[in-house]
Amino acid sequence: MPKAPEAEPDWELVRKRNFVERLKHEKGGLAVIDDLPAMIATGYEAVPEEDMVRLQWYGLYHDKPKLGYFMMRVKIPGGVLTPRALRTLGDLAQRYGRGHGELTTRQNVQLHWLEMARLPEVLATLAAAGLTTAGACGDNVRNVTGCPVAGLDRDELFDCRALLREAAEFFLEHREYSDLPRKHKITISACAHQCNAPEMHCIALLGTLRDGQPGFAVKVGGGLSTWPRLADDLGVFVPAAEAVAVLRAILDVWRLDRRYRLSRARARLKFMVDDLGAARFRQRVEERLGRPLADGAAPAPPAEELDHGGIHPQRQPGLAYAGFPVYLGLMNGEQMQRLADLAAEISADGRRGEEVEIRLTRRQNFILANLPAERVPEVVERVAAIGFPLAAGAGSLRRLAIACTGNPFCNFTVAETKGRLRQIVEHLERAFGAEGAAALGELRLNLDGCPHACAHHWIGDIGLQGTTLRERGPGGERLQGYDLFLGGGLARGAAIGRPVLRRVPGDVVHLAIERLCRAWLDGREPGERIQQFFTRHRDEQLIESAGVPAEVLAR
Amino acid sequence: MIHEPISPAGLGAASPLARPGAASPPTAGTPGAGAPRAPHVPAAARRDLLDELEAGQLANDLDYATPQELLAWALARWGRRLAICTSFQAEGMALFDMAWRLDPAVRLFTVDTGRLPSETYEMMEQVRGRYGVEIEVHLPDARKLARMTTRFGPNLFRRSVEARLLCCSVRKVEPVRGALDGLDAWVTGLRRDQWASRANIRKLEIDHDHGGLAKINPLADWTAEEVRDYNRAHDVPEHPLYARGYTSIGCAPCTRPTAAGEDARAGRWWWETNAPKECGIHCPLETGGLEHELEAMLHGSEDGEGSAGSEGREG
Repeated sequence: MPKAPEAEPDWELVRKRNFVERLKHEKGGLAVIDDLPAMIATGYEAVPEEDMVRLQWYGLYHDKPKLGYFMMRVKIPGGVLTPRALRTLGDLAQRYGRGHGELTTRQNVQLHWLEMARLPEVLATLAAAGLTTAGACGDNVRNVTGCPVAGLDRDELFDCRALLREAAEFFLEHREYSDLPRKHKITISACAHQCNAPEMHCIALLGTLRDGQPGFAVKVGGGLSTWPRLADDLGVFVPAAEAVAVLRAILDVWRLDRRYRLSRARARLKFMVDDLGAARFRQRVEERLGRPLADGAAPAPPAEELDHGGIHPQRQPGLAYAGFPVYLGLMNGEQMQRLADLAAEISADGRRGEEVEIRLTRRQNFILANLPAERVPEVVERVAAIGFPLAAGAGSLRRLAIACTGNPFCNFTVAETKGRLRQIVEHLERAFGAEGAAALGELRLNLDGCPHACAHHWIGDIGLQGTTLRERGPGGERLQGYDLFLGGGLARGAAIGRPVLRRVPGDVVHLAIERLCRAWLDGREPGERIQQFFTRHRDEQLIESAGVPAEVLAR
Repeated sequence: MIHEPISPAGLGAASPLARPGAASPPTAGTPGAGAPRAPHVPAAARRDLLDELEAGQLANDLDYATPQELLAWALARWGRRLAICTSFQAEGMALFDMAWRLDPAVRLFTVDTGRLPSETYEMMEQVRGRYGVEIEVHLPDARKLARMTTRFGPNLFRRSVEARLLCCSVRKVEPVRGALDGLDAWVTGLRRDQWASRANIRKLEIDHDHGGLAKINPLADWTAEEVRDYNRAHDVPEHPLYARGYTSIGCAPCTRPTAAGEDARAGRWWWETNAPKECGIHCPLETGGLEHELEAMLHGSEDGEGSAGSEGREG
């Protein structure tokens, strides 16, 4: 196997080998915004594909088919939306986006159907509401995520919202950090439950206390996609006041090493951390900083993952937050408008001076924060009327099941995603009934339409990745199937799921999942979670349990 | 929607992992529970297909490989289960030449759509003579072709984007599919700089558009100049249409030369308006792009929420 080149390549070689580096060198991604009026005048069809790539720097992607409509990803740092911001998103979805809207696994909101000619007014409207798409896609620091109940939760170590905002603003449209080797994902929280998935981010700052002083442990080098890797503990303690400087130093070590710019396939921080190891990577960061970092250790992972669903009293007396399931992560423009208006109305009525906020979670749900405790029952009822019942379906299935954007919008997907997830969830609800669905507990179904893993199929209890069968339909059409990954998860049992079943046909995948759940319920040790059950059994045993006949898998 | 679902009775009985005395909640939606247990899939009966974890690791390790190193590795692994796909353009020819030098028995296949320029047939002869090999030729399905031409005429592609996509599908997409059905790996001439939004391709990928076989892209990080230089240095046959200003070569009626500086789209389906961007240009078949556009345009769903049937009949 050929080895990595010893010598660092010069820019000339980088640009020869890597087309996007050439493209960025010719004109940076951020510069595309100045060309937008000219591009609109030229018309979509004549815009060179290079500029289409640059538009990613403003959160824009081709929708499918590529006929002139765009997906727009709006960054929501920490997932915190004011009623006005959500109202704006709802208005834009209604006016320019055929009403479609979706919540993502990184606390973004995505709209579709936007036409290039309308982009200037869309971007201006977003800016007026304090929202931005800059750096939402492309080789940037993507949306900085955090715990959706930061500053509210009683178990939180300390409130790091200010730092999260500071970091998000520092890297926003920053010339040096908008030409990274590829996308870069940062998460910051002091959530006692580490709900923000520090294991799978490029950089995670994990809140911790030292002698009562707030600071952070740092994990680096996590990521999923086609090369899943759990992050390493850098073994340091960073006082809160130095956190942005340390983030910068890590990003500098990363972006200035040209080795990883040779190929987009290896241009993620996880490859560098894997090559160097945490200790040598830390050394490089310290060299960049010009001083050593204090030793420390990341806080122990919590026993289980948590999405902060349900009703909870806040740290602030008299206030509560309520986490609502958003089935399939779909929230249409009208729902955004109505939810925003409800939040604004409760805020106006608030006697405690806290605005009601809509906070987005990484499992594509939302939390209403700063609710006067006595109004919670009324709010729950009114939110249900908007389409988000607090107790949706049976058990936690609808709250925890996630799927990526997929059809009909995404150009990468090869199989149905949200539609298929709906079919699976509703089948399980029927098959197990209310009691059985409750027995399934916090079952996490993560379904992706392609290997990019936007819905994190590697770390679901049951992860699914869309694929196609070798067999064709009678008209020669592609038939959908799913690879099943079992035993993945975060928190104490953090692990990358094993690909156990391949090419399970789309029309029986719900049955295979039902049988795997049943195998667990029938065969579990006392208190054993489904992930542990999958870990305890060999692939062959699980394949047999899933009960998909060999001739079906062979299709 | 779901048509003709496989009977749940095809799924096995109680889990072999059940603990004695344990019982899951009663079954409401699986009438077939209780049927005979499904046969086990013996691992040895499977073909040499990669799983995602393995493919991810390999793609990372192989990213530094030269085209020849990658071809040698792939030939050692798959041998006759691997074939090179060519339409006799520069990339495919370079790859075949490299592979042939490593293993003269390497398989080479192409699709004869029935509308190729005569120069492409000359190329086939030239390659057969120069290397002394057989080129596996895959043809469109005769009945489908007859039905299509009878109904829509031979030049249906000039009528609408949809008609042209149908023609591409019958004449090109489906025969390639047929060729791939018998393989565990194929080699393509995709390069990262052919199309900006495809710059992230890996040198080894699982081809989810063609049933999950491995797709090897040895020229991923080469430039067009490097390909040209290789071909000149090794006296590789060059398609004569390049000398006449063609930049990409496909079916005769749908391809024409482009002037220097002219958009690549001017060379393919130049009469079309409102065609999907990228469609048909720069090997979209190899990227899955053409298949995706086909489905979105011909079978697309109107449903913004992604109905379960939007990619045609379910498997």
